[in-house]
Amino acid sequence: MSSVIVCHACDLAHRLDSLAAKARVRCVRCRAELYRTNDGSPDTVIALAATALALFILANVYPLVALSVNGSTRMTTLIGAAASFYEQGYGALAILVAFTAVVVPLIQILTLLYLLIPLRLGYAVRGRNVLFRILGALRPWGMAEVFMLGAVVALVKLSAQSEVSPRVSLIAYGLLMFSIAALINATPGEQYWRWVSTYVRATRTGTRRMREVRT
Amino acid sequence: MTRLVTGRSLGLIVCTRCRATVRAIGAEQSTCPRCEAPLYVRRPHSLSTSAALVITAAVLYIPANVLPVMHTHEIFSDEDDTIMSGVISLAHQGSWPIALLVFFASMVVPLLKLVALGEILFAISRGRVRHTRQRSRLFRIVEFVGRWSMLDVFALSLLASLVQIQSLATIQIRPGAFAFAAVVVLTLLAAQTFDERLLWDADTRD
Repeated sequence: MSSVIVCHACDLAHRLDSLAAKARVRCVRCRAELYRTNDGSPDTVIALAATALALFILANVYPLVALSVNGSTRMTTLIGAAASFYEQGYGALAILVAFTAVVVPLIQILTLLYLLIPLRLGYAVRGRNVLFRILGALRPWGMAEVFMLGAVVALVKLSAQSEVSPRVSLIAYGLLMFSIAALINATPGEQYWRWVSTYVRATRTGTRRMREVRT
Repeated sequence: MTRLVTGRSLGLIVCTRCRATVRAIGAEQSTCPRCEAPLYVRRPHSLSTSAALVITAAVLYIPANVLPVMHTHEIFSDEDDTIMSGVISLAHQGSWPIALLVFFASMVVPLLKLVALGEILFAISRGRVRHTRQRSRLFRIVEFVGRWSMLDVFALSLLASLVQIQSLATIQIRPGAFAFAAVVVLTLLAAQTFDERLLWDADTRD
């Protein structure tokens, strides 16, 4: 029975030996991706996550865009953009913007670092399963690339009547967008568990044990 | 045509989170042995929850497009902007690519999501068998483009925080923005609650 793979999108059962050892296997009926073998190591993801974290800090500390009208300049930050909704009495929208553009990317970065660094060292970590599921659930809600394009739209709109200029944070955010995309792409759900079985030999309760089983 | 065998007929369940294939033992409610996510043969109440979300979103789609999303106050002028008038003013300004982008993200995508999800849910509730492959493809397009409707919400947040120069110009948010964001979030949730496997169940007679 271990050689049977069931499609998550249409429930069709496939016998694995008839699928050959291809890198990427799709469901014969609905074309959903059944699995993707990935030679990538967690090291790549850790490096990407560390880069993303540095960019995230830059993107949040510095101003995002500046607007100058008649000699006076006004700047806004990433959080300032979300806060403007709150200041005008739309708290729910402020939460939505802060969540999708700031909080979710940060949780994704930190969770991957927390899950992968100990894994690489051969440890099992506390709360692994919960965090793995949170990561999956948050995936559709990380909208860095959409925010980036929204910023472009806002800049174009304003450029008609005033002088606007992108600042450090917008560039950092643009790079953050790419590193998060690479990060998410390098860690498909099953890949994580393949890494777990490669690097960690531990009991389900999460007892720490230093044993690497790479061969 | 070869006989199609499904996971359900073999007593196998795929974990929706980690995609482990698990042998279903008796009770419907159990958790994945690998990641501890709840396991189910089909997502419970998927159709009705998804339909409720789509209907709510469809109702809110009207105020989202009719009500102004922002108000621009300048020295000699006061102006209300709806989603559509925002697109038009971008086009007048000569930024055609951006106008087209916003038009697709803010007008076409939400409507596509409502119509597509509505049709898919209706077809399943009626047990339609034909065109399953096309519906599946449509659903995946909806899933893929759905997030892009947030574009206008993000642009609005930046406009409202930048244009606050009291003596010259201010931009205020109007209720249309809330309705619009609600449509986006509700349709995203509707797509997430929908269990794709329901589409194919009529296709496999087991």
